[in-house]
Amino acid sequence: MRINSKLLLAVAVMPLLFTATAKAELNVFACEAEYASLAKTLAPSADIYSATTAMQDPHQVQARPSLIAKMRQADLVVCAGADLEIGWLPMLQMKASNPKVKSTDEGLFFAADQVETLDKLASVERSMGDVHAKGNPHLHLDPERMLTIAQALSAKMIELDPQNSSEYQQSLADFSQRWQAKIPQWQEQAKGLAGKKVIAYHSSFRYLFNWAGIEQVADLEPKPGLAPTSSHLASLLTRAEQGDVMAVIVASYQDERGAKWLGERANLPVLMLPMSVGGNDQSKDLFSLYDSLFALLNGVK
Amino acid sequence: MSALNTRVSLLALACAFSSYSVMAEDSSLTNPNISAVLDGYYQTGDRPLAEREEGFGLGETELALSANIDDNFYGKITTVIESADGETELNLEEAFIQTLALPSGLSARAGRFLSDIGYLNNQHKHTDSFTERPAAYRAFLGNHYYDDGIRLSYVAPTDLYWTMGVEAFSGDSLRAADEHGDRDFDDVGVFTALTKIGGDIGVESSWQLGLSYLRNENGLAYAEEHEDEEEEVADEHEHSHSASYTGENTYIADFVYKWAPNGNYKYQNLTLSGEYFRVTDIFGEEPGHIDDGLDDHEISDDDYHEGWYLSSVYQFSPSCIRRCALWRSGYL
Ligand SMILES: [Zn+2]
Repeated sequence: MRINSKLLLAVAVMPLLFTATAKAELNVFACEAEYASLAKTLAPSADIYSATTAMQDPHQVQARPSLIAKMRQADLVVCAGADLEIGWLPMLQMKASNPKVKSTDEGLFFAADQVETLDKLASVERSMGDVHAKGNPHLHLDPERMLTIAQALSAKMIELDPQNSSEYQQSLADFSQRWQAKIPQWQEQAKGLAGKKVIAYHSSFRYLFNWAGIEQVADLEPKPGLAPTSSHLASLLTRAEQGDVMAVIVASYQDERGAKWLGERANLPVLMLPMSVGGNDQSKDLFSLYDSLFALLNGVK
Repeated sequence: MSALNTRVSLLALACAFSSYSVMAEDSSLTNPNISAVLDGYYQTGDRPLAEREEGFGLGETELALSANIDDNFYGKITTVIESADGETELNLEEAFIQTLALPSGLSARAGRFLSDIGYLNNQHKHTDSFTERPAAYRAFLGNHYYDDGIRLSYVAPTDLYWTMGVEAFSGDSLRAADEHGDRDFDDVGVFTALTKIGGDIGVESSWQLGLSYLRNENGLAYAEEHEDEEEEVADEHEHSHSASYTGENTYIADFVYKWAPNGNYKYQNLTLSGEYFRVTDIFGEEPGHIDDGLDDHEISDDDYHEGWYLSSVYQFSPSCIRRCALWRSGYL
């Protein structure tokens, strides 16, 4: 009798165990490719989907059906935050009707909440264009900030999926060790770039430039969010003629035409830098993305 | 049957002269999102049932307030100031609350809101690519159908997007003509059921298909009144939120296909969309009507209205982000 009931219990519990292991993988929805890549590193067995690629402007994304379907099933949504996704994320959240990812108390994670953003604005006026009032949200190209974000994201994963906490802790330890070993190498590569001046499109590389000591002396956008106009390009040409600018820089999702026009007339190299993982052939994860960025910047003669 | 006779207008240009919005991902009652849109337009050609004249004009001014009331509810109020035919009117188009925390893909909305039927109807007019709604919308839904009611929606947990919804509305603006003002209309007159599916094709394209059904308990026009209806409607060129053609059953099939190079919508993108409307059971006998065999009109079950449109919009933005140059290639 006794043995029998134990056997029965074991049989009854078995399917529960199977469902538990089958459900164990965290379903992650990342707004940008850099956070999909980070999530993959921190949770190798998770099911991860990126809403955008490095070729797509994350300020302007269509809240399309596939994104609603993916968010509906997500346990965790990872985004840059600081209102970068303001034009599409709230709409997706409402349409997906997934209460698990509606607030940062639960399965919603904003990278910008974990670190100090640069260029916060005290007041915003419409005449300023599509500015980032909560500070620049393109913060994944600062190695130190990225490490802080990784730690917070790993903690969020453990909070949502405590059963697999040892896996997340192990992955974070691995990542941190490799990342910290890389930082001195990148510092070495940034040495020759310190003090260099560039003209770039938007404030996309603000954190990279800040970290490497590069100065962006002008923006191809006349105002944030607006494409280069001919009068603005003419003023940039005047600026470039001072002779101290190293290169004109655009991100992988930005239109090259304005930069090329300026580059040709000012005799400056035009660099198309990967904005995220997948932004060029070399950028397969965050490590190779940084490697590629420094290689391209150092390749300017 | 009466198919809508529409003319083809080749080019329509629309550009918002000014728009202003203050939004935050963490809106609250003390810090609501505010958006205002001033809609200036330039229109070429004249269109049937149109409320806008040729040339430059000011369309709608929209002011919207929205906020998360708490973790469980979202609320929105939208008022629209419209100028048409030299008159200005103020309409409350939205005033609703929606649930944010119902489990399993469910959500409910109550108050005044835009019905989710069709493709364009739930979109605000200022986001339209064209200065006016397609004729089918103007004829069957009074431009866009918003009303007082409730909605229950469900999104399935599938990789292919699949949503279903049911709505119940007062239906006042979709009531059949009531010449003598003595008709006894149902207070909850409109019920809808709708479903949409959609997904991606590679990185660059996405699509959505929708089917909607609208039951209008007050949509049947009584036989006596229908004879001069068509003439009346054909001349109508004034601003109205009421449907010009009504019926008991409305079926809508819609599709949209969007494309952008690399899936990057910032610089250029293409939207193809189309909808087909079929309105049936348009004429009926007044309750208590006794067929004395002397009436010279016949009521046929085959009576229906239909309307459809196809539109393609190519947006490119060297200098204007929203919509500066729009090409209408087919609009029938
Ligand atoms: Zn930005």
